[in-house]
Amino acid sequence: MNVDVLEDERQHHFVLNMGPQHPSTHGVLRVLLKMEGEYVLDPQPVLGYVHRCHEKIGECKPARSFMPNTARMDYLGALIYNQGYAMLLERAAGIEVPKRAEYIRVITSELNRIQSHLLWYGAYLLDLGAFTPIMYAFDDREHILDALEDVCGSRLTYCYCRVGGVCKDIDDKFIERARAFIERLRGRFPMYENLINGNVIVQKRMKSVGNYTPELCARYGVTGPLLRATGVAYDLRKAEPYSVYSEFDFEVPTEQTGDAWAAFNVRYREIEQSLRIIEQALDKLPEGEVMADKVPKKLRLPQGDYNCSVEAPRGELSYYLVSDGSDVPYRIKVRTPSYSNLSVVPEVCKGMMIADVVTSMGALDLVIPEIDR
Amino acid sequence: MNIKAMQKKWLAIGAEVEETGYAKTGYDFNLNVAADNVHPLAELMLAEGFYLVFVTAVHALPAIEVVYQFAHTGSSRCRVIARTAVRADGTVPTISDVYQGANWHEREARDFYGVVFAGHPNLVPLILAEEDVDLKPLLKEEKNLKDVSALRHLPAGAEPEVKTATAAAKKEPAATDKKAAQPQASN
Repeated sequence: MNVDVLEDERQHHFVLNMGPQHPSTHGVLRVLLKMEGEYVLDPQPVLGYVHRCHEKIGECKPARSFMPNTARMDYLGALIYNQGYAMLLERAAGIEVPKRAEYIRVITSELNRIQSHLLWYGAYLLDLGAFTPIMYAFDDREHILDALEDVCGSRLTYCYCRVGGVCKDIDDKFIERARAFIERLRGRFPMYENLINGNVIVQKRMKSVGNYTPELCARYGVTGPLLRATGVAYDLRKAEPYSVYSEFDFEVPTEQTGDAWAAFNVRYREIEQSLRIIEQALDKLPEGEVMADKVPKKLRLPQGDYNCSVEAPRGELSYYLVSDGSDVPYRIKVRTPSYSNLSVVPEVCKGMMIADVVTSMGALDLVIPEIDR
Repeated sequence: MNIKAMQKKWLAIGAEVEETGYAKTGYDFNLNVAADNVHPLAELMLAEGFYLVFVTAVHALPAIEVVYQFAHTGSSRCRVIARTAVRADGTVPTISDVYQGANWHEREARDFYGVVFAGHPNLVPLILAEEDVDLKPLLKEEKNLKDVSALRHLPAGAEPEVKTATAAAKKEPAATDKKAAQPQASN
């Protein structure tokens, strides 16, 4: 054995390039890992592979025309991005939304959140080496996509919300489908728990990986399930109740340990809470219009700056718009949750084994297009 | 967190504090701070348990404005926007040593606007490619540039249709009152 090689640092430090086409980075994220053997000394994400200048585009056309762009940022939470942007413009222009439209927004947004969580659930376990769960998760997710396709017209990049409401009313068929889905998914939970959550191999892969604390989350602006995995019950649907969320009874799941296993459980339990919200919204669904009347064709926004924050599947989404009084935004900034969540990687993943970096980054539930925008 | 006490602390570090009305604007307080006070403000916000929402910039006259947003995870809602004008040499102190999350936001603001965050550990392109270091794509053309007063909320009661010139004139007395009580906030 050549002892000189082991003693010379230069011989066993190396840089490993993970991505931009690596399967466990879910899209075009690249991470440069400075390694010593199996251990990661310094992980540095490299961004910008899918930067599409959304903020620049937003400054070049009337504010309401930006709606389709919002869906292209987070393709898994498109309806929630739609809703946030519609609420921003409604707040700026002082437009009241009919009750029924608010309910429909909540129902479709929560369905969207569930399908995002289901995709993450399957894909995350796939990253960890379990091939089967993604088949079950996609099977369930398909029911949501089919139901949403009927009302929204698309399966992924929805453009369903409008300033003042939604573009199409939901029908009895949709309501029936949504109710059937709630029943179906509740029936599937025991199967998921037996197959995965109770599996000791899964638990051993996730427990003690990552040590998030509320203080670390504040320094990096980490929000969403990761923050709730540290014991902070912060969910914008409760903290800044927007739309009609204050009318529903639901909980904010939290865990205490701040590791990947805690984040996993928070997300899993959120699915049930979303089901509860949908169930109540369907029961209480009011009759009436789904679009406000008198929404001007040319939507002038009074001068000043406006902010709108909503709870996206991955954390806090904030739109910040500066208006000069015309119908074209002077500046539009989109604060996406994954951007801040990913920025903790250099600190949290330092010193981990490379397999744990995959576990840790999977727990972030990254959507790369919303990071690069 | 006690909001009244918080307001006093903001005033103590030389910020102009303005309540904005959440229903209208989507945030609770607007703070105008001088570039030199950005770092003490960040330290204060972190100590009080605020998390960093974003750092960005707005290209306006007379200088590029850097905008920070903070929010609190506690039981009472408190969402704060702080803004500062960049100094004459185009710099603003970094807050990435206090809020490490600001590291990327500041790099992005440098990519898009060329704002130099003094003291930043690694101010190289993040979103844009390395060869686009001087692109600054979000800077506006001169004909599209507006004065910051044209981008502020009009005082309550003023007609939204009022042209900017009269609006600025209306705003003037209130602004000078505040400035008399507080040190000049920005250049």
